[in-house]
Amino acid sequence: MSGLSGRAAIAGIGATEFSKDSGRSELRLACEAVLAAVADAGLRPSDVDGMVTFTADSSSEIHIARSTGIGELRFFSRVPHGGGAACGTVQQAAMAVATGVAEVVVCYRAFNERSGHRFGLGRADAPSGAGADDAAFSWVSPFGLFTPAQWVAMFARRYMHEYKATTEDFGRVAVVDRKHAAVNPAAWFHGRPITLADHQASRWIAEPLRLLDCCQESDGGQALVVVSAERARDLPHPPALVLAAGQGSGADQHMMTSYYRQDITGIPEMGLVGRQLYGQSGLGPADVDAAILYDHFTPLVLPQLEELGFCGRGEARHFIADGHLEVGGRLPVNTHGGQLGEAYIHGMNGIAEAVRLVRGTSVNQPPSVRHVLVTAGTGVPTSGLILGAGR
Amino acid sequence: MRSRTYEEVTVGETLPVLPVPLTRTLIVATAIASRDYQDVHHDPGLAVERGSKDVFMNILTTNGLIDRYVTEWAGPAAEVKAIKIRLGAPNYPGDTMVLTGAVTAKHDEDHRVEIAVRGDNGLGAHVTGVVAVRLPRGEEP
Amino acid sequence: MALTEQDGYDERLQEFTGREVLQPRPGPDPVNVPMIRHWVEAMGDRNPIYLDETAARETGRAGIVAPASMTQAWTMPGYAATAARQDDGSGLGGLIALLAEGGYTSVVATDSEFAFHRELVVGDHVGVRETVESISPEKRTALGAGRFVTTRRTYLDQHGEVVAEQRWRMLWFRPEQPQAPKALRPRPAVNRDNAFWFEAAREHRLVIQRCSGCAALRHPPGPCCPRCGSYDWDTAEASGRGRVHSFVVSHHPRHPAFESPYLVALVELEEGTRLVANLVGVTPEEVVIDMPVALEWLDPDPGLTLPAFRPVTP
Repeated sequence: MSGLSGRAAIAGIGATEFSKDSGRSELRLACEAVLAAVADAGLRPSDVDGMVTFTADSSSEIHIARSTGIGELRFFSRVPHGGGAACGTVQQAAMAVATGVAEVVVCYRAFNERSGHRFGLGRADAPSGAGADDAAFSWVSPFGLFTPAQWVAMFARRYMHEYKATTEDFGRVAVVDRKHAAVNPAAWFHGRPITLADHQASRWIAEPLRLLDCCQESDGGQALVVVSAERARDLPHPPALVLAAGQGSGADQHMMTSYYRQDITGIPEMGLVGRQLYGQSGLGPADVDAAILYDHFTPLVLPQLEELGFCGRGEARHFIADGHLEVGGRLPVNTHGGQLGEAYIHGMNGIAEAVRLVRGTSVNQPPSVRHVLVTAGTGVPTSGLILGAGR
Repeated sequence: MRSRTYEEVTVGETLPVLPVPLTRTLIVATAIASRDYQDVHHDPGLAVERGSKDVFMNILTTNGLIDRYVTEWAGPAAEVKAIKIRLGAPNYPGDTMVLTGAVTAKHDEDHRVEIAVRGDNGLGAHVTGVVAVRLPRGEEP
Repeated sequence: MALTEQDGYDERLQEFTGREVLQPRPGPDPVNVPMIRHWVEAMGDRNPIYLDETAARETGRAGIVAPASMTQAWTMPGYAATAARQDDGSGLGGLIALLAEGGYTSVVATDSEFAFHRELVVGDHVGVRETVESISPEKRTALGAGRFVTTRRTYLDQHGEVVAEQRWRMLWFRPEQPQAPKALRPRPAVNRDNAFWFEAAREHRLVIQRCSGCAALRHPPGPCCPRCGSYDWDTAEASGRGRVHSFVVSHHPRHPAFESPYLVALVELEEGTRLVANLVGVTPEEVVIDMPVALEWLDPDPGLTLPAFRPVTP
């Protein structure tokens, strides 16, 4: 077990409603989420002395601190690589409180991703500068490969080929997520489960991906309050201890297009994250009671299960078909409905669900959840957490 | 320039193929020489606004080129009696129109010869038509 | 947009049938050598009878004649009248306004059937009379919906004698919406590290960056060799043969530069590096993983050349 394990906890969660058109600014969504999380933690804005968000966020911590009465900040940091940042923000916060650099750190992400800039429409017309990040897209965009769904589809097709997977195997991920979302009042797809036939009937987006393989682009904000484990025990909710927090960038890593590795059916950066999570926490896959697996697109949920040791390489389709992702299964997954069913808030809403699972307050609460594994964006440098109940 | 006589022409005889490079200058110069100042024959922007992909050759020029094609073959003594044409694919700059022709009929009473003519460009047939010319008799000086 | 029968539009149009829409009037200039010279120069017509008195007389003529095909030119209204959008000399007068009312604002000539009664000589002053023969119902054409207006034009000399007759057909049409300029593909962000590759592509050469230190090939390229650390490199020319390692059939979102669905593949070259490129000459249903492909070049937009691959038999 590492020096970080168990030193910090998530003590508060707060979110806006998730919608297709918030009608408010991204900064306002961020303020609402942050204040809700601070209130949930039983703290006041002036208690906050650190903030972490994504490099992708449009609202810097200064605007939120100024607007909400947080005031002074001693620690602020940003994590890059889109949705890969989600669990990384908590890692940053946990390290800050574990070392005494800060006492109350809020992690947040807020955007109008549906009514404003939609990632799903791609970066075909994104301005292109001379920097390495923009230049990297020169190897895909001019050929018409410029959306996240397309980038993922390239991995998915090869995965299908090597492991005899089908689009139905991807569809089963969407079905279980939507089943969970159907009972979640906060979910966009509350009350609207789907069948595998619905999935198979949905239109192609980027073959082999169909519409129902793609997440719900959403407007909304989500915030999390991280404090030391000791302080968390004095706050209203049962603490969700950060038992492990890791980041991972694989060898020959690209942004969504790591196509040049010998094998493109795995997610080596997620394997790297998993090894850290188990190493820090002293836990193994068998100790994980539920998981929030990043699901911007269904196909990359399969290799996550494999990289994290829940099943063998190429066996995820059987693991899923056997019902293990269901609430009564071996590894209940995305009990809030995931980003396919609840909302796409860049993975941050999944961390909040992991906290609810630890608290025992999920709308799809499995019995006796002690350890919840959470992952961040796939296809990009990523991150992960294991949260647990106080021991 | 030698003139062909009525007697030496046979039905079925073909005319030499004449490729006409369709430069932008040719299209504009011939439009102006025929006093046709319609913008579609010289202004690319307005031509596009009017539903064309570019400026295109005017019909008076097609008549002129057909006239030239047949009389080059027939010679200066020939008198053009009729030019009947139908236009198809426009002649746009940068293309080439290839003119071909064949004698389809002879009329002894007025030593008139009919020639079927067509001009093809990269898009298809620009023009199909018939030209009638009266040729000198062989015994005439 | 289209005017219907209830508007009485067709009836108003048909009132022009049989009507003389242009009374004979002499053209702006009598037949003259300078205008003939302009014509034959532009047409590339070297027949000597149009400019050379002697040559004309050698053919039995009294002197220079004008090209038969030029007959109509003598009656054209000229620049000022065209620019002022007056009667354009087609002689259709009020008919043009009525056609414009119906949205038929563009015009192309489609048929011309000339019969020449005599050759025109210098000094002839030609005028034209024009009578409407028929106006067609609206037809769909490649240019847009339109009506064919057929007229009979009679060319008269200064003595009122008929010198030529012409059946003349014009298509008056509603132009289709002007086509938007062709959308460009997303442009590569060209910088100091990747410019060589796109420059080679413009010369239709597919190159692979090669480390000068350890000869390792790498793509996408970078400034430094991950194997030996050398900043020195040159390029190897790829054979252009490879296999489809994976592929995507893109349906949505639609981008105007691409015709959906379209194929994008990850191609593994026989040299061992991979690159993303479009597949051509194959339908989505026909593509299979590991199928052999060979290099082609696409020049989709000005200044942009990209490799593409076409399936080949192994």
